[in-house]
Amino acid sequence: MNPHANMIIMSSLILGPMITITSSHWVMAWVGLEINMLAIIPLTGQTTTTHEQFEASIKYFLTQAAASSLLLFSIINNVWNTGQFDITQPTNTLSSTMMTAALTMKLGLAPFHYWLPETLQGTTTMMTLILTTWQKLAPLTLLMMINQSLNTSLLVTLSLLSMMIGGWGGLNQTQLRKIMAFSSIAHLGWMTMILTLSTKLTLLTFYTYITLTTTMLLTIKLLETNKMSTAMTSWTKSPMLNATMMLNLMSLAGLPPLTGFMPKWLILQELTKNHMTIIAATSAILSLLSLFFYIRIAYYSTITLPPNMTNYSQQWRHKNQQKPYLPLMIITSSMLTPIMPTFMMIL
Amino acid sequence: MLKIIIPTIMLIPTTTMCKPTQLWYTTLIHSMLISLLSLQLFYPSLQPIMNFSNHNLQQNQTSTPLIILSCWLTPLMILASQNHLSTEPLSRKRTFIITTIILQMLLIMTFSTTDLIMFFVLFEATLIPTLMMITRWGNQMERLNAGTYFLFYTLMGSLPLLVALLSLYSNTNSLSILTMQLSPTMLKNTWTNSMWLLAALTAFMIKMPLYGLHLWLPKAHVEAPIAGSMILAAILLKLGGYGIIRIMSTTNFLSKTPYYPFMILALWGIIMTSLICLRQTDLKSLIAYSPVSHMGLVTAATLTQTEWAYTGAITLMIAHGLTSSLLFCLANTKLRRIHSRTLLLTQNMQLLLPLMGTWWLLASLTNMALPPTINLMGELTIITSLFNWSNTTIIITGLGTLITATYTLHMFSSTQWGELPQHIKIMTPSHTREHLIMTLHILPMMLLMMKPELIWGPLYC
Repeated sequence: MNPHANMIIMSSLILGPMITITSSHWVMAWVGLEINMLAIIPLTGQTTTTHEQFEASIKYFLTQAAASSLLLFSIINNVWNTGQFDITQPTNTLSSTMMTAALTMKLGLAPFHYWLPETLQGTTTMMTLILTTWQKLAPLTLLMMINQSLNTSLLVTLSLLSMMIGGWGGLNQTQLRKIMAFSSIAHLGWMTMILTLSTKLTLLTFYTYITLTTTMLLTIKLLETNKMSTAMTSWTKSPMLNATMMLNLMSLAGLPPLTGFMPKWLILQELTKNHMTIIAATSAILSLLSLFFYIRIAYYSTITLPPNMTNYSQQWRHKNQQKPYLPLMIITSSMLTPIMPTFMMIL
Repeated sequence: MLKIIIPTIMLIPTTTMCKPTQLWYTTLIHSMLISLLSLQLFYPSLQPIMNFSNHNLQQNQTSTPLIILSCWLTPLMILASQNHLSTEPLSRKRTFIITTIILQMLLIMTFSTTDLIMFFVLFEATLIPTLMMITRWGNQMERLNAGTYFLFYTLMGSLPLLVALLSLYSNTNSLSILTMQLSPTMLKNTWTNSMWLLAALTAFMIKMPLYGLHLWLPKAHVEAPIAGSMILAAILLKLGGYGIIRIMSTTNFLSKTPYYPFMILALWGIIMTSLICLRQTDLKSLIAYSPVSHMGLVTAATLTQTEWAYTGAITLMIAHGLTSSLLFCLANTKLRRIHSRTLLLTQNMQLLLPLMGTWWLLASLTNMALPPTINLMGELTIITSLFNWSNTTIIITGLGTLITATYTLHMFSSTQWGELPQHIKIMTPSHTREHLIMTLHILPMMLLMMKPELIWGPLYC
């Protein structure tokens, strides 16, 4: 891409959520979201060789624009009812419900998740990375700031629905980026479950999710696999990365003692403290659905190797590209559970 | 306690850095040294002084035998895996040994922790190395299914366990095993408390396994490599028993009705799985079903919550661990020679491999709980405590013992006696390594026969 255009787009992409996060005025928050959306549309629309890629960016634009306008409407409704634009003041029921709907549409929570799998599939892997991690920052921050006026039962319903859809939807997928989309839906479900009870835990889950998803998508990019069938031969490109991909997948699934278990454990603890035991047990068991497709990827790529390969044979045209920060991320995504009290203290 | 954990962790760099020709010797000798070091944990059993404890890691008579058994089993696993890993490249051999060592480390920490949540995290953590062992180094295509069954059965039970432990934490604000044993809470027989008990116990019942929830066990045991089968049968099943003992000592229900479903399934499972063993054609599957019946006895005993029952449970767990692991090693020697697990393909092995016949005899005798082995001590204590709990259980347990003896004799006579099959052309003689494995299994059993107080758990003080 043209370096000047690239600079403008990248700086707007970073500027948008920064404005949203640091604002206390509703209109500034909305402006930040709009800057972000306008910046990322050219990035998602970069590759338009196939029809699917073209459709992905259009779907993304339409969904985000609709969500932004719904958010603007709920802001105006809030102003009409309470007479002030301050984010930190409580809002009335209608405004907060509409804001919930708009922000969940921006995030990709159920039942507004239909755009997410195709959008993540239709763009490049780096764009998938940005869409799943950076784009979630601004809407989630807004949700956290208005958490005291939100309806707990609505949020719990949405999050249980997200976990179900994230689990069951990913079961039939073979494309890795679509699988990451459904995993994103399920993780966002865990984040919004605990939103009204403890924003600290939402933040912790978000940070853990960013680390795990970034590691996974960077691994996918390095191994140049997009489907499960190409993942089966990824051990010829980098066997060590293959093995750590398995650990990363188990961490995404939330298996102890890896990092992904830590937010789940703390969320379940907070839920049982508030006597929501059945909801806690249900959400724990729903995470087993996503465990199945993570384990399936781990089986195909790492644990079972083709029967005719007992000697290690490397791919003959092997580009040795490395990302120096990837080992650190892998360690962070596997081994953080023993220092859990540190996170409770600093968040 | 760190004297044992740190050397075990340090075995991992040892494995990566030792010379290729010395890989097996080095890991074997070092893990054997660690297991000899762990024997000193028996010392507090002989006196009421507890020397090896701090706030985080503590052993009492319940957990000490299991720690020592898991340390003892690692060199045996390394010994037994040499044959089937000989064709693999060096890095995979190292990875296998590292998986074994990680499993041992997690098991030691599981049995010695003082906090129930830490116990849970480590209990779950043992799943990952075991899954890797089953699905990566198993033999048949069915191992994928076996790994999935293993993982999902265990996790389906243990996630409610996590929620149950967290709700106990929010009620009592402490999950330390030490303080909970001293003040067990009396619970009324309400729906909530019954559900709590169901959630807390199901994970361990699946792990034991209880009869209705046992479908993962034959798959996992049959498809696992020999080291995986050994560690599964000897220790990982006993994790369930240990967990039940810990949970049961923390709560006391005012009426015994919530325990009835588990008790019924356990007792009925003893008979049913013993009968299934009689009908098996696959040798490894036969040996895999026998833990279900023995662990049914252990489950029924631990649910009665008496001193004799706990003693019998721990004794039978140790004895059965050694016996089952020995039987799997014997089946593996047969598998390596004829590459088939069918029971009837090798008959009259006593003629071809007479020394191995001795080990088959000893294994069968201990499996059917011949006096004066420790298997009999455990079973008899359990049968007595169940008789005390309810007189009619003697029918079930007695019948179970009878059928156990029947299928064990059937297995022994099928492999050792009978007509020599015509198709066997080559039968390589027994390796010294194989004799060593069998000796190292039988030796603790014989020695424990002399001083069984070491594994009697809380009865001895």
